[in-house]
Amino acid sequence: MVSTPFGVFVTSALIIIAVFAAVAFSTRRPGSLDYGKANRLRLLALGVLGAILVTFFVLTLPHLPYAAAAEVQTPDHIVHAVGKQYAWSLTERSGPTIETWDKDFSPTVTVPAGAPVEFRVTTLDVNHGFSLYAPDGHLMAQTQAMPGYVNRLRVTFDQPGTYTVLCLEFCGMSHHRMRGVVEVR
Amino acid sequence: MPEVLAVDQYTPRLVRVTITWVLTALVLFPVLAILGLLMRTLQAGYMAAVPPEWFYAVMTLHGLGMVGLWFVAGMAGISVLLARYVRPTIAVSWIAFGATLAGVLLLVAATLVGRLGVGWYFLYPLPFHSGGTWPGWATAFLFAALAIMGVGWTLWAGDLLWAIARRYRLTDALGWQYLRGGGTPEVPPIVIIATVSFIGVLAGLVAAVVVLALVAAEQMTTGFTNDALLIKNLTFYFGHMLVNITMYFGVAMVYEVMPAYTGRPWKSNALVAASWNLVLLLVMFAYLHHLYMDFAQPQWLQVTGQLASYLISVPAAIVTIFSTLMLVHGSDMKWKLPSLMLYLGVMGWAIGGVAAVIDSTVMVNSRFHNTLWVPAHFHTYYVMGVVLMILGTVFHLAGELSKISESAASTRAIVSTVAVGGYGFLLMFYLAGVAGVPRRYASYPAEAAQGIVYAKLSLLFIALLLVGALVYIWETGRRCVRSLA
Repeated sequence: MVSTPFGVFVTSALIIIAVFAAVAFSTRRPGSLDYGKANRLRLLALGVLGAILVTFFVLTLPHLPYAAAAEVQTPDHIVHAVGKQYAWSLTERSGPTIETWDKDFSPTVTVPAGAPVEFRVTTLDVNHGFSLYAPDGHLMAQTQAMPGYVNRLRVTFDQPGTYTVLCLEFCGMSHHRMRGVVEVR
Repeated sequence: MPEVLAVDQYTPRLVRVTITWVLTALVLFPVLAILGLLMRTLQAGYMAAVPPEWFYAVMTLHGLGMVGLWFVAGMAGISVLLARYVRPTIAVSWIAFGATLAGVLLLVAATLVGRLGVGWYFLYPLPFHSGGTWPGWATAFLFAALAIMGVGWTLWAGDLLWAIARRYRLTDALGWQYLRGGGTPEVPPIVIIATVSFIGVLAGLVAAVVVLALVAAEQMTTGFTNDALLIKNLTFYFGHMLVNITMYFGVAMVYEVMPAYTGRPWKSNALVAASWNLVLLLVMFAYLHHLYMDFAQPQWLQVTGQLASYLISVPAAIVTIFSTLMLVHGSDMKWKLPSLMLYLGVMGWAIGGVAAVIDSTVMVNSRFHNTLWVPAHFHTYYVMGVVLMILGTVFHLAGELSKISESAASTRAIVSTVAVGGYGFLLMFYLAGVAGVPRRYASYPAEAAQGIVYAKLSLLFIALLLVGALVYIWETGRRCVRSLA
């Protein structure tokens, strides 16, 4: 999926560079400015930009990641993901609290492939970012872990394998070492 | 044309304070850039013995330093350009300078001595959860620095707005006479953009005051805990506003300085007025795109964030960027260092804008949020956008004051190294972002190992960028010193 936005970006950047270069070269032959023509061109640019933005808005809006959480039916598999400097606890039973962290902490959870899983993500201290990396290293999905809130992220793992949970919100000196594991079977 | 104020005894006093700001910026800029180079060096896997808390302390100083530096450089640049039309109070600029210096010293102590590592937007409640890395005094220094700089900058923005209001009615300064179909009083575009920007600065600083008050209330009372989502909204409202306004300062400089090189005037009209009034409205809501991954945020706010982020690109592209191209196209352009930097700065703004709009799409943000795509787009805005606009303007002013003529060889060296080094450095960020490499990692785990390769490659480009920056600093520095003499 990420190749599409990158393609849009590179194409747009090259067009911008080409336009700026062409305009810069036009100063080799100075002349007067035709304001009427320029403003007609501006209207055309407005139309093109407007059409692009409306198209992207309409095409992407149905794919908000929150829609899944609003569905009435709760998936059979619920994982409580609790962040605490600097580890993720992942369990199908209710997550640990500050008091029960040492006893209930679990860095790994096992879920089935092909079935929706709901991650209920929260934190016991600072903001963290709950992110799922697939076995091939691509970022699948993410949500934030915020003190006092539970964010619900629904994911269906198509392929079995070992998925890694990393922290994507800076949380302190071992932020880069904060991880968890989701085994999909 | 709007009437320009005469040069009088006010002018040398203004020049003195402005050059003090510029020389300070020219010292801080390479130091902070070298901190950035150090971060990429550590991410590349070199100097592995350096503990991660140093990386995060340096990251905090680099981020806060750069955001603050370009904000005050933008304010100083706008002040001197505005002084053609209005008279800001010079003493207030000195007060802001003192407050900024005090803030910088406190931040240096907090990060390099106290090893405070909270990132430039110090997301609540991280400053109070050091995990034993930094002492309580470092957090106190952070908030003291923010409070002192906040007061200084509020006074500064307020005084500039007051200076505008002393000459123009606020509605005229916002260009509403053009929207009503009239054309008088004639107001230069820089006044309209500056008015929008200073209102934005003050609106952003109000949010910062609320954050500081709420955090202080939690620390000083028992049984009161802040709502993390509310603080996050306020923090990003303030941070996004500050960064955007810095960008607008640069754009205002383009409006004011570019005509000196194109030979074509850039006048206010209904289009310019409408676009900047629209920006003032939309910039209040665009920050919402920072909270897309906070699923607890009401969904209508998330959609509003995408809508505002898309819409705010329209006045930028159709009015300012298009008009820049229109102004230059077929003109008798004098391609000097300032005009090249301003022109390239507008181009960088356009490219960074595309990257920002892409990431402000909720669906895409699920993959790009807090990956290296984020620093990629804001470094495009800064390094290849507003920084070029500000530095181009500074060189323009320093050249006028010192009467030192421009060296074509230096210009070629600066432009080529900055363009190749800058875009090469940015490309490494973009490619890593697409690969899902997280931002703000002191070192990369196996899942993000590509980040190491991109960090190594970026070192070459940063070195090139630094060479260009140092040549620029030498050329501008000696012009500033001559101007003072």
